[in-house]
Amino acid sequence: MTRPEDGPQPVGRAADILKAVRRVLLAVFERTAGALVVLWVLASLVFLALRLLPGDPAALILGDQASEEARSLLRSRLGLDEPLSVQYASFIFGLFKLDIGESLARPGVLAFDEVGKALGPTAALAGIAVGLGAMLGIAAALLSVGPWLGEKREWAHRVILTVAATPLLAFAPLATFALAVEWRLVPLPGDPDSGFGGLAFASALLSLPLAAQVGRIGRAALLDQARAKWLETAAAKGASSTRVWLVHALPVASAPIAVVVATQLGALLGGAVVLERLFERPGLGTLMLNAYAARDIPVLEASVVAAGLLFVLAQGMAGALSAMIDPRGYSE
Amino acid sequence: MNSATRFRSAALVVLPAVALLVASASFAWLSSRSPSRMSLELAWTGPDEGRPLGSGDAGVDLLALVTHSTFRALVLAGVVASFGFLVGAPLGAAAGLAGGRFERWTLRACDLVQSFPTFLLALAVLSAVTVPSRLHIGAVFCVGVWAPFARLSLAQARVLGEAQFVEAARALGAGRMRVVGRHVLPNLLGPVAVQIGTAAAGVVLGETALGFVGLGPPDGVSLGALLEQGTLGMLRAPHVLAVGAVAVAMVSGSLQLASEGLRRLIHVS
Repeated sequence: MTRPEDGPQPVGRAADILKAVRRVLLAVFERTAGALVVLWVLASLVFLALRLLPGDPAALILGDQASEEARSLLRSRLGLDEPLSVQYASFIFGLFKLDIGESLARPGVLAFDEVGKALGPTAALAGIAVGLGAMLGIAAALLSVGPWLGEKREWAHRVILTVAATPLLAFAPLATFALAVEWRLVPLPGDPDSGFGGLAFASALLSLPLAAQVGRIGRAALLDQARAKWLETAAAKGASSTRVWLVHALPVASAPIAVVVATQLGALLGGAVVLERLFERPGLGTLMLNAYAARDIPVLEASVVAAGLLFVLAQGMAGALSAMIDPRGYSE
Repeated sequence: MNSATRFRSAALVVLPAVALLVASASFAWLSSRSPSRMSLELAWTGPDEGRPLGSGDAGVDLLALVTHSTFRALVLAGVVASFGFLVGAPLGAAAGLAGGRFERWTLRACDLVQSFPTFLLALAVLSAVTVPSRLHIGAVFCVGVWAPFARLSLAQARVLGEAQFVEAARALGAGRMRVVGRHVLPNLLGPVAVQIGTAAAGVVLGETALGFVGLGPPDGVSLGALLEQGTLGMLRAPHVLAVGAVAVAMVSGSLQLASEGLRRLIHVS
């Protein structure tokens, strides 16, 4: 039954647009606030962690044998001899200026310059992996519900479930051993000369867990509407089954898919660090782990904040995308 | 499906996780093999009679290493996941039943905790200790593990709060405590408990990833350290990598299966 308010309302157009703008602004504000809180907590944690450490950070960095002069020199270089509140204020201020001091491992190089150099490879690895994972996952989901494979479409579903249950940590080294070392089908991504082939192989490995999750959720979302009336209508009007699934069903299923991508970004970031370590590729993960091992405080702080920023930006984009596709959750 | 066959099909799926736990625990306690004793002359040698799985870096016995690591990973995962259940389930239920501001703030807290990249959090927290131990790693996972439980339990409580049998109980004059204790909680705990297996598998993989990149316990007895040995020795001794990869896949896979078994047992679709 149609209630009067369900019909088109020609009078309220301007008000509607205003409402929509307010809704978007509110959503943007809420997301930005959340992202800033995440960044601030991460930055404060890494700042405090290194300063509240029992014992002298300078001794930890230089080793127990270091002379007292060397230690006090390092302490004053890092500002460790000042009160904690002063250190914290200058740390937060430095984050905005992108200058929180020089690297300890490589004196003369700003910590954020090190991070800037490492950001590119990691962004390329993760970016290609997200794109590839979304495409592979959507393709697998479509194959597992559409008519193209006939009875064999159950196999597409099984492949999705198997990949989803196989951890990246278990299959990435094995696949590398088989494909790059034994059969030499792909270049070893750790080789500096491997170029785009190496990057593509590493991204493909990283994209598989994401693809499996996208496939699982995408399949469920597509199955949800498999019996929807508008698909029947489209088919009755003579649309091919490819057109029905791609043009009529897939856009409706893309909101949950964007949500899955957003929730999987944390795992993707962890996976990128693992793969960089596995292949010894330069990148944010490698920089972070080396800084951790060497207790290079400024670089560790800068890289954790930069990785957090990369993460909240990607998450915000995925969230905004899903809000654009399906604004229902954001109507208040 | 009657309850006997349901129980049997559920038990079959839970079996791998239980078998893995019992086998690794009994081996770790009963066998005198040490997971960290080095015998340099055996480094990277393949399987033989004395060492069915061969030896790894510096000649550690892979059979001992993999069983000890598996047992420790399972215990850590079990403890962390149970913590998540014990904190998250009551919190979510209370928020779902109370509604209003409490519910909104709980959901906000879940959002915030779940939007943290666990890896960065672990790195930040672990850099505060001179030598990271399993206790610290467990604490890092505990920060976020309760959120999915709370979310699930909140949704469940909201549904149950409006269910007809709960309304009937209220209409029959049951008090608030009786409604919550007798009618809502028992129906809520099952579906939320299913999450334990999934959460435990996530903890195992997280611990392995941290160990792999060098943020693991210093004694080197962890699945991540085993995998790292495997990738280091990939060229001369591929069997180490195979043992590590199979072990990680088995542990996480069996925990995921156990989750599925619990789901069948309590009949959640």
